[in-house]
Amino acid sequence: MPTDHRRIIGPENTVPYRLYTKLNSCSFSEKFNQAVKNGIRPDGRKLNEHRKIFMKCGVVSQAKGSAYIEVDKTKVIVSVYDPREIPKKTDYSLKGELYCEFKYAPFSCPKRKLHQQDAEEKQNSAILKRALESVVCRHEFPNFQVDVYVMVLENDGSALSTAIMGAGLALAHAGIPMYDIITATTLGIQGDVKLLDPTLMEESLCNVAVPNSTNNEKEYSNHGILILSMLSTHQQVSKFYQTGNLDLKDLNESIDILATATKDIVPLIKKCLVKSVTKNVKENAED
Amino acid sequence: MELETDIVAHAFGSARLRLANTDVLVAVKIEVEVPFPEQPDEGKIEFFVDCSANATPDFEGRGGEELAMEIANSLAGAYKSTQAFDLSSLCIMKGRKCWKLLVDILILECGGNLYDAVSIAVKAALWNTRIPKVLSVHLDGNKVEMDVSDNVHDCEKLDVARAPIMVTISKIGDHCVVDPSSAEEQCSTASVVVAVSQKRFTTILQSSSGALHPTTLMDCLKMGCEVATQLDMALLQILMKTPSQKDIGFLL
Repeated sequence: MPTDHRRIIGPENTVPYRLYTKLNSCSFSEKFNQAVKNGIRPDGRKLNEHRKIFMKCGVVSQAKGSAYIEVDKTKVIVSVYDPREIPKKTDYSLKGELYCEFKYAPFSCPKRKLHQQDAEEKQNSAILKRALESVVCRHEFPNFQVDVYVMVLENDGSALSTAIMGAGLALAHAGIPMYDIITATTLGIQGDVKLLDPTLMEESLCNVAVPNSTNNEKEYSNHGILILSMLSTHQQVSKFYQTGNLDLKDLNESIDILATATKDIVPLIKKCLVKSVTKNVKENAED
Repeated sequence: MELETDIVAHAFGSARLRLANTDVLVAVKIEVEVPFPEQPDEGKIEFFVDCSANATPDFEGRGGEELAMEIANSLAGAYKSTQAFDLSSLCIMKGRKCWKLLVDILILECGGNLYDAVSIAVKAALWNTRIPKVLSVHLDGNKVEMDVSDNVHDCEKLDVARAPIMVTISKIGDHCVVDPSSAEEQCSTASVVVAVSQKRFTTILQSSSGALHPTTLMDCLKMGCEVATQLDMALLQILMKTPSQKDIGFLL
């Protein structure tokens, strides 16, 4: 692994202090019961309720298109730059390329992120790229590439799905030809409980396997995280990603939940885009 | 499909798989490490994929890096679930010492369906892996002292019966096919990779760009689950059949 010599990385053997706090010492079931009380989550949401979303186009003046999106505490900023020639490319490609970079700000997560992309960020970049590739009309700009930079300012769960939506919005704002509006949501599953749009705390709860106490055999409950991005008018799933441990029945139910959830966000994005267009038209008329 | 195990002398476990024109070599190395502070009673497993330019000219320079990273990450995701692979058996002393499995995957020839081939080869290599027996561990002041068995044959095997198998399903025209060749991969509109362990999904991802309808996705998942279960059973049967290393004297 190449290491970064120019920046102060800090001592290597530091440990996050949270390991020693009270919250870490309480058992999993306590934490889980705290998180889901009678089907109501700590922030007052129902299990299948999405957090409130705020979005705005045109926040970065230097970029061709940009978007800022907030899902409660999760905050993501995306900028999109003009199509440009693909550097160091010798052969002709019929379809345009997308270059996606997903980055957590160093202070965005409980643990400090380094300046270089780590494995998770690289993986998220790849997922983002796949999700966007099927929504952009790539044949419109052959042999060129569009750059999409995503910066997560604060991560309170569902960062990747928020980033996908933000990137879609920024691409539309940049005037890149697209087939449809792209929306994405995350679903966390722990046992029988399905949490739509999980927070960071809920995500970590959904990542652990809990042994079923009723059986003597080693059997674990369902758990996992699913991300689904959807082109709603065309009814096409552009990216589906899952980790954890789930059976087929649960998956089918989850896909349905996610598909309806993504549909609900579409009007919001439409409204935001219309707003930015009318603002543009007004400004041009004044000139 | 052709499968060989125990072919790399310096590795603790290895396997080579040839699936039509795809050729994959997997070797497992073991090191002693300090466990993560977040999971003090678990060992570690890491995957490295090397797509050398030997396999196809597309991998020249940094061309294969992206694919290599995607395969490595999908494997890491598939093995992360405790049910699929129990890392706690790799712990030597809680919070102090654990085994770390370094799984190196070398792609020798690329003829499509890489994910499936790699996952089968990894499972076979882990099956073949032998961890040296630790005779005793104790704390001396703040230092951990370990006594590892010198006998080469005095080893423990890993429990990999539940390790996930990955299956690629490609959508070509109106049909979904499994085990696509590289030509089929070229003309598919979308492809889904599922990692299945014991009829349960541990990871699902799309390996190429392209969208599909939710119902098609569900059909793909169902098909993937069935195929992976069959494949897993066949693989385990073959692995059981392979003779275990016997302690044979030098002259015999």
